[in-house]
Amino acid sequence: MTNTLSNETTAESASADAEVRTLRDRIERNPRPALLWLAGAAVLFVLEFGRVLGGLLALGKAGRFVLEGIASIPGWIGGNVGDALGTVIGAVVSDVVSLSILFIAAIVLQSYLPWRIDDFVDVDRSPKSKAWLERLVLTAILAVIAVLMAFTPIGGLVKAEVSLWGSVLDSLSSLPTLTSRETIPNMGHRTPEGGWEGTFLGLSPKYAWAIRFALVWVYMITCLVWVWKGFNVYREHYREADWTPRDDTIRRFRNHTWGIFGLIIVIGFVTLGVFAPAISPVPAEHNIYEPYNHEFSYLNDEGEVDQILHGTANLDSRSNGQNTVGLWEYDDYDRFAPLGTTPDGQDMLTHLAFGARTSLVISLSSVALGGLIAVGLSLMTAYYKGALDIVTIVVSDTIISIPVLVLVLMILVVFQNHPLREPMDGGLLLSLVLALAYWPAMWRAIRGPSLQVSEEEWVDAAKSYGQTPNNIMRKHMAPYIASYIIIYASLLIGGVIISVAALSFLGLGIQSPTPEWGRLISDGRPFIPTSSWHVSTISGILIALVVLAFNALGDAVRDAVDPEADIGNEGAGAGGGG
Amino acid sequence: MSRWGYLVKRIALSIPVLFSAITFLFLMLRLGPLDPVSARLGEQASGADVTRLREQMGLNDPLWKQYLDFMRDLLTFSGESWVVQANRPITDIVAQVAPTTIWLGFWAILLPLFIGIPLGFYAGLNPNSKSDYVASVSSILWLSMPNFWLAVMALAFLRKTKGGGVLGFDWYALGPDISGITGTPGLDFLTLTNVFGVPLPTAMDWMAFLTDFKLILPASLILGSASMATEMRIGRTAVLETVNSNYVETAKAKGLKSRAIVWKHIFRNALIPLVPVITNEAFILIGGSVIIEYIFNINGLGSLYFRALVAADIPLAGALLFMFTLLIISLNLLQDFLYTIIDPRVGYDR
Repeated sequence: MTNTLSNETTAESASADAEVRTLRDRIERNPRPALLWLAGAAVLFVLEFGRVLGGLLALGKAGRFVLEGIASIPGWIGGNVGDALGTVIGAVVSDVVSLSILFIAAIVLQSYLPWRIDDFVDVDRSPKSKAWLERLVLTAILAVIAVLMAFTPIGGLVKAEVSLWGSVLDSLSSLPTLTSRETIPNMGHRTPEGGWEGTFLGLSPKYAWAIRFALVWVYMITCLVWVWKGFNVYREHYREADWTPRDDTIRRFRNHTWGIFGLIIVIGFVTLGVFAPAISPVPAEHNIYEPYNHEFSYLNDEGEVDQILHGTANLDSRSNGQNTVGLWEYDDYDRFAPLGTTPDGQDMLTHLAFGARTSLVISLSSVALGGLIAVGLSLMTAYYKGALDIVTIVVSDTIISIPVLVLVLMILVVFQNHPLREPMDGGLLLSLVLALAYWPAMWRAIRGPSLQVSEEEWVDAAKSYGQTPNNIMRKHMAPYIASYIIIYASLLIGGVIISVAALSFLGLGIQSPTPEWGRLISDGRPFIPTSSWHVSTISGILIALVVLAFNALGDAVRDAVDPEADIGNEGAGAGGGG
Repeated sequence: MSRWGYLVKRIALSIPVLFSAITFLFLMLRLGPLDPVSARLGEQASGADVTRLREQMGLNDPLWKQYLDFMRDLLTFSGESWVVQANRPITDIVAQVAPTTIWLGFWAILLPLFIGIPLGFYAGLNPNSKSDYVASVSSILWLSMPNFWLAVMALAFLRKTKGGGVLGFDWYALGPDISGITGTPGLDFLTLTNVFGVPLPTAMDWMAFLTDFKLILPASLILGSASMATEMRIGRTAVLETVNSNYVETAKAKGLKSRAIVWKHIFRNALIPLVPVITNEAFILIGGSVIIEYIFNINGLGSLYFRALVAADIPLAGALLFMFTLLIISLNLLQDFLYTIIDPRVGYDR
């Protein structure tokens, strides 16, 4: 983050001043430190190549899902209108909607294009109408591409090509990595002679798992240290300036004990989610999602090695008060459960690790989406003011005047049979709904700063130079409200995590089988006074710890970015009423 | 702009908000993917039943008429429940359960107010002392714990004290005897007599009052805990800021007694930033009451809303949501009104 930002600023100043060399020049002049660092990074990357690839593939799939969702909007709206007003009007409406989506895409693309319209045609017009012309041309090009993809064989060819590469990458992503289960297996069975078969080096599952667990953290810490080292290499060898304000930000953060504590826990939480397949003692696919399609071997009471389905074994391993598999224990089938089992007999740590993934994905995506809406609206309302501002105030006041939990409950029930409900057993719907519920608060938090920025002289100057509003907002206003939204978003994440847990506790959030911490609390609720106390207690403590850490991190970021920053934080971390 | 002009503007702005809230509810409940007919009759219903019900619910009317009907029903609090208590007027159902929620909310506001603010002020007046650290850290911890988890844990703990637990006290026997630790309080400790047509309390059953209080105490403490922690934090900061401000220095220089400084100058000004915290409690109370009433098995507005939603009782859920919205909009107005009274600067520089 810091790195890229400073790179950009140096690159910009480089073009302005020929004396200043670009980053590439500086690296070419003294390549050794950079190459050394890159070699280390490459080793780390190769060790976990399959996992990184798998993550990228998952991102790609999510992206495709989003694109397909957007592509289906025109047809959906057109169909609805067509039902009410007739097919022809419906078709026209769906075309208009597609064109406006493409137009929005054109506005976004415009700023990244390498060419300007002046390069092709010699138009003698104001910059404003030139920008519009550019957008319209771009929209037309996009529309032609879309038509080609949809109605000619080209679309099919592209699709086949993409799926071919996808399957190649898929097979590559299943390569074993340093921390994968194939490298250090922990699912084995006792042999009649008394040893262990199928585990790492014949160790007992307990130690095999512990080694893998430790390795995950070692790997993660090494990666973090390496990133930090990379920043230092850049600072020592390649940065022109001895000091930038960002150095002070980092120094303030490093001296913020409370924030460091938060950061450590947040990193732990992220690691738990990212490395969930490695940390979980039993594969989630086998134990949670399809327990009746996967079997494993164990040594039965007669002293023979036998096969049993995970689902059947789970029935005997339930922690339901009478029958408990507690912390650091084996169940009857010699599966090691470091944190015991759930009331369904599934492995608790597997549940928690994949639950961390669920919470992470939902909280990050909903806060990011909400933040995006908030930033976009705050830039536009601050720049244009007037009617747009009033409308946004009314809309945001409307949403704010309904308590988040109550609002989200209603939308979840309304959409309970909708196809949006299916991805991640409600996770996608939940993150969309939470983004809708939380953007007004974020917009309010950054409205003041953006109004201030819009009054600055450099904005006026940019206007008088004839820059487009889009560019003014993006280049001259957005950087100044970025820190505010980052602070507010990091304070909000804790609240989102609690909301997700609360909704799942009520049975309306994430449905089974996708693991989720709030549902774990609700499942373990009847057994708290019994020997199976661990289910609710541990998941609750984990939620509290993670929320605490995000609040601490948010506080620290606020103090570090701007020691005098004064944005309201009441309520942001206040737990969302769950 | 004068402060009254500011207030008038705030009231004017809350009217479009109210209408946009109604529109939002209409869009969600009537035009959303929820099918009211199958919600009421079940998925398998078909034929004459469906046609009749569609006609009866006005689903065949033009959209603008449905919208106007919806708005009229909400604004006049008419309309009937479909599922939860079929065909009973919503106002009746609400009037029946509202006192319980008010009882819960009353204590949930009052208890933290009298614990959180004094603690915060104490911590602010003795900054960086041991007690300050204890209070600050525990408030942050308290804020991070999900209410519903606290409630589940507290219930399990209280249940365990039956017959004298580890800590040597029995929650069931402490004070008035109760058979169960969850449930709806009876709220019949007041004897109402009609005095010239107005029901006025004339007698009070103290034992019943204490029983009701004991029943609601754990729930309201947990419901108010988040705002208690916030009050403490904000109160501490506010006191610290006022202590270091110029007018307190001036007052000291004038030789005022420290007691007078604390009461007259520090406390009054430190209360200002607490106003939004206290009015914002409404959000936590309404949102939190759903989950707290569900856990503590209290038959109040929150659990009514939850039941209405789960049973897809659209009119009841919509009306309750509208009431919550109305309550919060008016509380926001009240907050701005309080501001103009406490803080004379409001209105001039906005």
